[in-house]
Amino acid sequence: MQIHKHTKTLLIPVLLFGLAATGCTPKQAESSTASADGKVEIDFWTFWGSETRRPIIEKIINDFNASQDKIIVKHTYLPWGDIWTKNLASIAAKNPADVIINDIASVDQRASKKQNTELTAYLEQDNIQDRFYESLWDNVLYEDKAYAIPFNTDTRMLYYNKKAFREAGLDPEKPPATWAELEEYAIKLDKKNGNVYDQVGFHPLWGDFGIDNWLLNADGGKGFFDNDNNMYINTPAKVEAVNWIKSWNDRLGKKNVDAMQAEFGSEQSNPFISGKVAMWIHQGTFATQIRDYGKDMEVGVAPIPEKTEGSGHYSGGGGFVAEIPYGAKHPDEAWEFIKYLTDYDAQKYWAVKNFDNVANKEAASDPELLSDPIYKAAVENLEVTTHFRAPIAVPDFKNLITPQIDSALLGNITAEEALAKAETDVKSMIQQAGK
Amino acid sequence: MNMNQPQAGAQHPLKASKPRRGKLARSEDRAGYIFILPWLIGFFGITLLPLLFSLYGSFTNYDITSQMDFIGLANYERMFSSDPLFWKSLSNTIYYVLWMVPLTTIGSVLLALLLNERVAGMRMFRTIFYLPSVLSGVGVYFLWMQLLNPSTGLVNTLLSWVGIAGPAWLTDPFWTKPAVIFMKMWAVGGGMLLYLASLQSVPPQLYEAARLDGASALRRFRHITLPMISPVIFYDVVTSLIGGFQVFQEGYVMTESGGGGPMHSLLFYNLHMWHKAFTVFDMGYAMAMAWVLFVVVMILTALNLKLSKRWVHYEGGDS
Repeated sequence: MQIHKHTKTLLIPVLLFGLAATGCTPKQAESSTASADGKVEIDFWTFWGSETRRPIIEKIINDFNASQDKIIVKHTYLPWGDIWTKNLASIAAKNPADVIINDIASVDQRASKKQNTELTAYLEQDNIQDRFYESLWDNVLYEDKAYAIPFNTDTRMLYYNKKAFREAGLDPEKPPATWAELEEYAIKLDKKNGNVYDQVGFHPLWGDFGIDNWLLNADGGKGFFDNDNNMYINTPAKVEAVNWIKSWNDRLGKKNVDAMQAEFGSEQSNPFISGKVAMWIHQGTFATQIRDYGKDMEVGVAPIPEKTEGSGHYSGGGGFVAEIPYGAKHPDEAWEFIKYLTDYDAQKYWAVKNFDNVANKEAASDPELLSDPIYKAAVENLEVTTHFRAPIAVPDFKNLITPQIDSALLGNITAEEALAKAETDVKSMIQQAGK
Repeated sequence: MNMNQPQAGAQHPLKASKPRRGKLARSEDRAGYIFILPWLIGFFGITLLPLLFSLYGSFTNYDITSQMDFIGLANYERMFSSDPLFWKSLSNTIYYVLWMVPLTTIGSVLLALLLNERVAGMRMFRTIFYLPSVLSGVGVYFLWMQLLNPSTGLVNTLLSWVGIAGPAWLTDPFWTKPAVIFMKMWAVGGGMLLYLASLQSVPPQLYEAARLDGASALRRFRHITLPMISPVIFYDVVTSLIGGFQVFQEGYVMTESGGGGPMHSLLFYNLHMWHKAFTVFDMGYAMAMAWVLFVVVMILTALNLKLSKRWVHYEGGDS
């Protein structure tokens, strides 16, 4: 009797919980119906909340809303980082956004996990594939079907300070073209005051290029994996690249490098803009920071120097796509909006206002945009830009490579040992994932 | 027969008490349950159910959105046999706990002893030392990243005054963990408060008697103060041990894109777990990791409880 009474009492919270759960349902249903004037409201998630970007994307949304009378797009801003976890949770809860801006490098990853919607049927209806750069389109495919539409992309180039070049007796119209030249110029640009550097010519790991990109640049544009999942981790060119990066630390002094790096900021305290570093690799959009914060700077841009003459000025890039989360309530309306978002007008507006590389070829090569030399260089640089992609089985393989390279750069092990160990670790990870 | 008689008689009132509990008792029961209902809902709905779900999930290939197939012990096998980062993150975390727990405990005891002296303005000192533990979150880590800046940071500037060239705290893998542990010392004020309260409840006559017997300050501390505050030390050690194993933000905020720092020197257990769960959606594996951590912490806490019998002194005897 006693036990029975307890169980009964314990039922109360369970029932209450049930009530709370069912209480949620009508609210959900409400949000998915059309609004009073017969328009369908769709929810569009982006991480563009900054002073610069928010007005741009909201202008595009308003233009779309005004352009037709069936769909209203509502913009939801979620902070970078947060947006992915929230997207994941909302897909799992079967109540996701209708359109989301997501990372281009992992479209296939999400497709394999049923996080985004296959777009084949829509593409048969309106084929917009030819709008985009081929290399970007490759990145939205999973098992040969498209799961997202490219929105923007980026590429990395060498920015150099022409004034510093002149001061060092270098020709400001002749940027370094090879690694050897880069080093030669950098040494000439170094300005040392006692033990401290007032100006450093260059350091390969400063700016926005990173180890992965250097290894790719050295290795004929090959990342750690190609699109057929062939592995290129422990290659002679990559070993050389690690040694080359280490040689910069050795020459400048690891301590100096660390100390300077810890102070780097952005905008006016960016070391390139404040004149602490004379050559700096960054994305095309960096030009807007120079424009806004480096008033009297004279800046030149050049492709990334190649390892040896003829080895190729390879650069790395990323970008974002618009996709429909799996289980979205209004995929048809979402598709209409995505079409608009990636069409000429919206893309050109985005490119002009943001100075960003856009995925739409026609918009990207608009004469108005190409009149800017830096923008033009960024568009041309897309030719030699590789987009990283991770094999679906081991999306986090790089976690096994970076610490080994870190260790080699610190001189604890040789570059050969580091990459050999990394390759063994990644192989074992792949094997384990295949089980 | 005769012997049984009184027993039956003794049982009788008990039996009779049942109907007497009646309405009032039952409505009291009900009221009681209603009062604890918020806790019950919390416990069952947002603690126990997810807990059981994650236990089951740890035996599956759950990825949140597309699959949840039973795969037996495969996650655990993978963790122990072929995930080098599991061991790395576990050893980072243990290193952190092994240093952080004793240092913060000793630090807060010493601080409490100092602040227990009768000096003018003591209240102000207490407030100042307690203040840092009021602050928390990401802002504090950013502040420390500036303080630990190798060339312009306050820490290295102070060190340079005494002729020490400070290291690159957060970029040299040898120094990253010591830097984080050092940083933790700044919030010893929280523990200090507990010790201070406990120090003030040590009966003064004990010290008086010891002083009459000629005990030195050190002996008074060793034989009176320490045993008297040992329950608080025990509580502090257990809670900071558990908290220590949950270290996450330090690695996430203070390293480049939350990756765990140079050579993964700040890849803590929870950070690795978080990456598995939310960046590569290997949720089943992450759940298995959570349970391994749970077992580790549980064993250590049980060990602590067992060892506590040897050194923790309870005034009213064991309770």
